[in-house]
Amino acid sequence: MTNMNEVASKPGFGTSPHESGVDLGQVPAKMTVRDLNFHYGEFHALKSIAMDVPEKKVTAIIGPSGCGKSTLLRIFNRIYAIYPSLRASGEIVLDGENILDPKYSLNRLRSKVGMVFQKPVPFPMTIFENVAYGIRHHEKLNRTDMEGRVEQALRGAALWDEVKDKLKQSALGLSGGQQQRLCIARGIALKPEVLLLDEPTSALDPIATSRIEQLVEELKSQFTIVIVTHNMQQAARCSDMTAFMYMGELIEFDRTEKIFTKPNKKQTEDYITGRFG
Amino acid sequence: MSASLYTTRRIKNVLAMILSVAATGIGLLFLAWILWETLSQGIAGLKPALFTKITAYREEGGLANAMVGSLILNVIGILIATPIGVMAGTWLAEYSRRSRLGPTIRFLNDILLSAPSIVLGLFVYTIIVLPSQWLTNGDVTFSGIAGGIALALIALPVIVRTTDEMLRLVPGTLREAALSLGVPQWKLTVQILIRAARSGIVTGVLLALARISGETAPLLLTAFGNNFMTFNPLDKMPSLPQVIYDYTKDPSPDINTLAWAGAFVLTMFVLALSLVARFVFSRSKVSHD
Repeated sequence: MTNMNEVASKPGFGTSPHESGVDLGQVPAKMTVRDLNFHYGEFHALKSIAMDVPEKKVTAIIGPSGCGKSTLLRIFNRIYAIYPSLRASGEIVLDGENILDPKYSLNRLRSKVGMVFQKPVPFPMTIFENVAYGIRHHEKLNRTDMEGRVEQALRGAALWDEVKDKLKQSALGLSGGQQQRLCIARGIALKPEVLLLDEPTSALDPIATSRIEQLVEELKSQFTIVIVTHNMQQAARCSDMTAFMYMGELIEFDRTEKIFTKPNKKQTEDYITGRFG
Repeated sequence: MSASLYTTRRIKNVLAMILSVAATGIGLLFLAWILWETLSQGIAGLKPALFTKITAYREEGGLANAMVGSLILNVIGILIATPIGVMAGTWLAEYSRRSRLGPTIRFLNDILLSAPSIVLGLFVYTIIVLPSQWLTNGDVTFSGIAGGIALALIALPVIVRTTDEMLRLVPGTLREAALSLGVPQWKLTVQILIRAARSGIVTGVLLALARISGETAPLLLTAFGNNFMTFNPLDKMPSLPQVIYDYTKDPSPDINTLAWAGAFVLTMFVLALSLVARFVFSRSKVSHD
């Protein structure tokens, strides 16, 4: 296994061979997954996953239900660790450090890796407080700075114009699509480096979905985005890289265009052409 | 063939409906009967004196001291039970997931919930009233405090249980969302989960208050009763249910009428509390949609 220093000195996709052997031109890897195994009690849910998540690109993870795509995403910020009897082994290297190392602080990890969930989950407080809440935990800001940060985050999530006059109202009164963009605002307000999206549009209508997809496109200039989706068109529309998973294994990981036009593996082709899944 | 199948179903449906309506009707009939009986019997006693005069005047008096005493006892009980109950319920719902202690404590709490209230009164009599004799050179020290503690023991399991259940109704995704911001467990619990479950918890406290305000047995051995107005929780303290109990046994019909009036006031108080509890809870449901 490669040691930390070697990883840190790795320049990027173009110049050295990668775990997944994928060539992405000059884009460096933000996160490198190596020999990742995951167990739910006795069940072996992820089997020796290895992949590079390219920096400031959108990486989509697709696959049939139960293939482990959400599981993989939930390891990237170690949110799985709140439940007993779940175990991850292997390495996930973020900026040269293994985040699975128990010594890697959760506080730090979660300020660097933000997450948006399938169902919008606004906190039971005002719209302003929803965004300010996370910031307040990590930074001490005065009132003006805080207002600026909240506005910036809401603008970033394309929600500002709709809520600027009702920041003091409960977030629970927003529509589903607005709530989901509020959750994205809450995530990006911490200025994370990686943003994890776990089927962020599966509870939304088509119009709200297309707004979120548009937003993903805009956000990738600032963040490395990993999105889990069961909607193949969505992966094709808004990702640069696509990983296809099946039964806990990473079957194929390549440029999205390649996956959807000329996949290497038969299983990938069968899945994207709708023959199973 | 299928027509006869539908007919059988329809008949079963009608039968089930009739039985359900009848069962509801029986329940409501007794409730209405009780309310009517308390009102019609107590109305003669519903005079201003009821709320201004004390029990020491007997027939010429009222129940003012008993009402004030009840209020003080209930407030003491709720003030003791609420913080302990909310904290214990929070521990059960949020922190006991990985231990076996959780289910055990939940079970013990259910036992406390159904413990006979006279036993709780006897318990407080033994551990508080009797031992405090040495403070007073041998006088038996019944007090409002002792009564309040007995009531707290009755309210406690109700509050533990509702807090536990309300917190467990908060979706797990809310916990994940907060934790994924890097927020620690205690902040998540205090600032988000309790807030999300707030109205349910308040409802539980109000229902616990409704429950203890009608308790008589635990007060007999702790607060004891008193025919005069007192605001001192170290004194023997009167209470509405206890006065109702005493006045019902009295041979004088005028005193019996006062008991009915007291029963009516108490019933209205509990009814009002239940309505407030419902209102608080229903408002929370709307805001969660």
